Amino acid sequence: MAPFEPVLTRGLGRLDLTDLSVYEAQGGFGALRKALRDMTPEAVVNEVSASNLRGRGGAGFPTGRKWSFLPNDGRPRYLVCNCDEAEPGTFKDHMLLEQTPFQIIEGLVISAYAIRAERAFMYIRGEFLEGYRIFRRALETARERGYVGPRIAGSDFSLDIVVHRGAGAYICGEETAMLESIEGKRGEPRLKPPFPANAGLYGMPTVVNNVETLCCVPHIVERGAQWFSSIGPPKCPGPKIISVSGHVRKPGNYEVPMGIPAGQLIEEYAGGLEPGRRLKAIQPGGGSSAAIFEEDLDTGLDFDSLAAKGTMLGSGGFVVMDDRTCLVRAALTLVRFFEHESCGQCTPCREGGQWVARMVGRLEAGEGSNADLAILRTLNRTLTGTNLCPLGDSIMPFLSSVLRRFPEEFETHVTQAGCPLAAEQAVAAGAGA
Amino acid sequence: MTNGRRMVRLTIDGTSLEVPEGTLLVEAAKSIGVHIPVYCYHPKMDPAGLCRICLVEIEKMPKLQIACNTQVAEGMVVHTASSRVAEGRRGVLEFLLLNHPLDCPICDKGGECDLQDFTLTYGPGASRLTEPKLHKPKAVDLGPTIVLDEERCILCRRCTRFDNEITHERRLIVVERGHRSLIGTADGKPYTSYFSGNTTEICPVGALTSKAYRFRSRPWDLSHADSVCTQCSVGCNYRIDSRFGRIMRTYTRENPAVDDGWICDRGRYTFNYLYEPSRLRQPLIAVDGELKAATFDEAIALTAEKLGRAAQARRVGIIGGGRLSDEEAFALQLLARDVLGSDNIDYRASAQKYASPPRYEARLADIDDASLILIFGAVTPEQAPIADLRIRRAVARRHARLLFVGPFVPPAFVPSRHVPYAPGEIAPLMRALADVVHHGREEQGEGFVAEIAQALAQAEKIIAIHNGRDPQAVEALDALLDRLAQYDHPVGVLVVGAAGNARGAEAAGCVPNLGPGYAPLGRTGMTTARMLDAAARGEIDALFIAGANPALTFPDGALVRRALERVEFLAVSEQVMTETAAYADVVFAAASFAEKSGHVTNLEGRQQPFHQAVEPPVQVATDAQILAALAHALGKPWVISAEPAVLFSQLEKMQRPARTRSSRDPLPRPCVDDPVPVPDPASWPDGLTVIPIPHLYAGGGAAAHDPGLAPMRPQPFAVFHPQDAQQRGVADGTRVRLRGPGGEIEVQARTGDHVPPGSVLVLADMPEAPVNKLTNASGYGVACVDAATVTASQELSA
Ligand SMILES: Cc1cc2nc3c(=O)[nH]c(=O)nc-3n(C[C@H](O)[C@H](O)[C@H](O)COP(=O)(O)O)c2cc1C
Ligand code: SF4
Ligand code: SF4
Ligand code: SF4
Ligand code: FES
Repeated sequence: MAPFEPVLTRGLGRLDLTDLSVYEAQGGFGALRKALRDMTPEAVVNEVSASNLRGRGGAGFPTGRKWSFLPNDGRPRYLVCNCDEAEPGTFKDHMLLEQTPFQIIEGLVISAYAIRAERAFMYIRGEFLEGYRIFRRALETARERGYVGPRIAGSDFSLDIVVHRGAGAYICGEETAMLESIEGKRGEPRLKPPFPANAGLYGMPTVVNNVETLCCVPHIVERGAQWFSSIGPPKCPGPKIISVSGHVRKPGNYEVPMGIPAGQLIEEYAGGLEPGRRLKAIQPGGGSSAAIFEEDLDTGLDFDSLAAKGTMLGSGGFVVMDDRTCLVRAALTLVRFFEHESCGQCTPCREGGQWVARMVGRLEAGEGSNADLAILRTLNRTLTGTNLCPLGDSIMPFLSSVLRRFPEEFETHVTQAGCPLAAEQAVAAGAGA
Repeated sequence: MTNGRRMVRLTIDGTSLEVPEGTLLVEAAKSIGVHIPVYCYHPKMDPAGLCRICLVEIEKMPKLQIACNTQVAEGMVVHTASSRVAEGRRGVLEFLLLNHPLDCPICDKGGECDLQDFTLTYGPGASRLTEPKLHKPKAVDLGPTIVLDEERCILCRRCTRFDNEITHERRLIVVERGHRSLIGTADGKPYTSYFSGNTTEICPVGALTSKAYRFRSRPWDLSHADSVCTQCSVGCNYRIDSRFGRIMRTYTRENPAVDDGWICDRGRYTFNYLYEPSRLRQPLIAVDGELKAATFDEAIALTAEKLGRAAQARRVGIIGGGRLSDEEAFALQLLARDVLGSDNIDYRASAQKYASPPRYEARLADIDDASLILIFGAVTPEQAPIADLRIRRAVARRHARLLFVGPFVPPAFVPSRHVPYAPGEIAPLMRALADVVHHGREEQGEGFVAEIAQALAQAEKIIAIHNGRDPQAVEALDALLDRLAQYDHPVGVLVVGAAGNARGAEAAGCVPNLGPGYAPLGRTGMTTARMLDAAARGEIDALFIAGANPALTFPDGALVRRALERVEFLAVSEQVMTETAAYADVVFAAASFAEKSGHVTNLEGRQQPFHQAVEPPVQVATDAQILAALAHALGKPWVISAEPAVLFSQLEKMQRPARTRSSRDPLPRPCVDDPVPVPDPASWPDGLTVIPIPHLYAGGGAAAHDPGLAPMRPQPFAVFHPQDAQQRGVADGTRVRLRGPGGEIEVQARTGDHVPPGSVLVLADMPEAPVNKLTNASGYGVACVDAATVTASQELSA
């Protein structure tokens, strides 16, 4: 098998791909020309379906299938690019936005063509101010060169791209909350059904795709579905950018073939753990995912393999925790995040999230009780799977997984009224002095 | 198939059932008596899926599903009482109770609270929460009517959704996020919706409470009486809840055809005037120009003598009926015709001329599927609020077009089109429309005619709504609708009544030329205007006015005042001291609707029974009793019964022919006076056309005396076009005096570009500043701004 060549990140770090001529010199916008000149929209949809591309935003939904759900009823259709990236541990879209904006634009135009959208929306996380500026500039350039706007690249297809900045809420990354936000309303997930394919932005058929998903599209058009699906597991193939952070020697974004074993990613790409350290836990798919452990290092990083392990690839935020990590503290960081970001619409997430955060906070502070632990062990039954959107269902998975795997660490927080690791480290520090 | 919908078979808790496709599980379960608890779900609103209490188990689905947003599917097997469901519900209740203050013992909702009830049925035995509860603001003043307890709030958002989906006013919102979420108002402005009280009912807990009812009673101590609101002509059904003979609150009593389960705040809160010192509690007789307490018998004897004597001389008149029950309106015309031998009887104490459309009678529910709603004259948000909710729904949710024709842009909460027409121009417009529609030349009409004609021609169903004031326009509308009906457009008309039972009075025979059931008499007595005119000229000696306040509401105010001053004897039957009663020689203390039983007829002609809720004060009599006593004293006791049931059976017989007539036969119409032209503003120096505008809380009777309405009641105001205001040096908020040929009033000035230049909108029916001092019989007037008042008051307000 040929060694894996970066696809989405090709040239990054070496070339200034925010320069249109550099992007073009690397073959950029060739796919756009090809699609608009030689392919019907259906042909593009079919190619993407055949590639088995699955959404990179978190849920891994087959992109071609999503596109084919749109009803053919003459209503206007919209495409929304989700660049709200706020999942803890995930920073790949941020990079794509700042370093290769034309790739996003090319993906947007081709995808809009495929679904016959007349208008596309680029939703950029509010904190990505620099990325927003870069993207705006790139969009202007693309418009000047006729890649966006009326009659793109001499074809009959016209598309306008509207850039919308978020205002700092994680929940606006959820696709229906994003639609509300674009409509100028409070960013809160909508009740489904109806689904965006039927009643999305302004009530019209709408597709929401992640930045990285859209970036895959030009390459599929250019090099064919077969090429794409030959990378990694056939059911969820393709290149995938994993954001590696935590206790590794070389944290960063790595583009890898889908399905690469977790251990290989750590060793071959991220430089391994620091000497003398032992792996304790990994969050493989962002803050919403349950942890995997030492014994899972040969698990492939792809949607299906991780689902089989009771966790998920999610957005590809890969957080490594070594033996210095207090898992109560790690869990606290996450449950506080969800408590803070809950939109508050539904009862379990709003009230339960706050309750869990208080209990874990107590445990971490050494004020917890066995009763708290007993409650936490039952809460995933009433707090998970009972919410309106996946945010509420994300509060418990990491906490439950580490509580199950390292119960003694939690219990010691109760019996010793505080963190044993902190005490250990203090002793170690004292001994070293 | 039901209504063309396919039937779906499913199983709920072992019972197999068939329901139309699209049915929500929660409703399907209800249909077989299986109760699924809900908080956020409300049958009148879109499912929201927020509270998660309605979780059920559906076979083949891995997760519990919410019954409030899951539609039935063929072969679905649902469990609502499995242990998984019980666990899910217990979980949700546990979450809800975590920070709930548990102040049930002092909570208004206690006893009718869904949180209490579901916790008892499905909840956890004891709270597992060991830490102190989080606190949120309590007793938050949301506006003039509502107090909010944020700690009791379970954030089901029924209130904000009601405010958004039902009223379309968007005043209530959620502020903050997550568990810090609070219910608040947009921009922090007071919550002043006319429909605010409904939120206290739909709130499943005791978070939203009404100031009127807070801490006044416990639900289980209340007695209930089914009644009908008579504060406007919509006739919403409601329940009067009383305790120890005193009204504590009113509550919706859903009638889908009329109120759809809502009542407005005017209807809900107008009852505390009954307990004010200004409530008339015994008859009064004027002695040396001053009204003094008298006995009922004295009042009857004096009135009977005066009326009898005047009747003999054919110099008697009777005004009223629009605020009586159907039975009493019937009795009132019996007094005129069968006791006093006079046809001088007229319910029309305001500018309204007709209360019933002669043909094409619409029902309120016809608004629901109208594709075009054409309104002129009536201001439905102010005069028929609950009907206006239907209009809002038809426009916002069912894409009806809303077209206002008239001199000013009325308030609207949904998209609408205003077509400017000056008072007096509506009739010619209707005629022009009939003409182009008749000839199929819709696009050729001049000016706005083409636009409206095309809208009419395109509409699948047209509902016209007006206020029955302009007989010529009504005539022309009828001709127009005839043309449209010929082309198979379903059409219908609703006439918004100026008084709550205007239509009932019209149908009971309180007009000079028609008897009960619109029966033409072949002769005619005097209209209100003619009676007043005759009285002012000394040609009528005695007037009896029952439940009407022409001194405030009759458009030619100068005439009323002259008439009431001049007439030798005036008897008035009223609940509170009104502007009209102030002129009286005898005042009868009359019972309110809550203190009697009978029927009222709403604007669509629906005759609805209402039942007595409380006893009137001892010396207070019902109008039926007063009228029967007068008949008795006048020697004809057999003519008028004091018993509503007896009166009703007589009336019903006489009304039957009109009810069962063919829809093509027009109803005979009440006679009207010759039209009086709208005054020419040029006839008065610096003159502006005075256009009276209605307001939900205006009025001189109950509304003026009810402490519950006081915070909502507007100060008298006039709205100028900004240009006119500027020319006259009038600024927003200054007090100005408006002077016309007939008198002057002082009002607060406002400006708005919904006012046509050259006109001024003046709040109608305000005792402090009666607009009828400025208007003539046309209902419009002319006035200028008294320059002296402008500067003087500006300094004051500065
Ligand atoms: C709480 C929450 C946050 C999310 N944030 C993001 C995000 O930042 N970026 C993103 O692409 N998808 C996010 N998603 C997933 C989106 O809802 C949606 O599934 C995705 O944008 C679809 O794109 P894809 O099919 O290309 O993956 C989020 C979902 C949830 C529930
Ligand atoms: S799960 Fe949480 S974030 Fe999602 S809708 Fe419910 S309250 Fe909002
Ligand atoms: S105030 Fe009442 S109706 Fe409104 S959200 Fe709270 S509980 Fe629901
Ligand atoms: S709309 Fe009219 S009848 Fe209905 S509650 Fe309000 S005032 Fe009463
Ligand atoms: S009633 Fe179903 S979620 Fe609230």
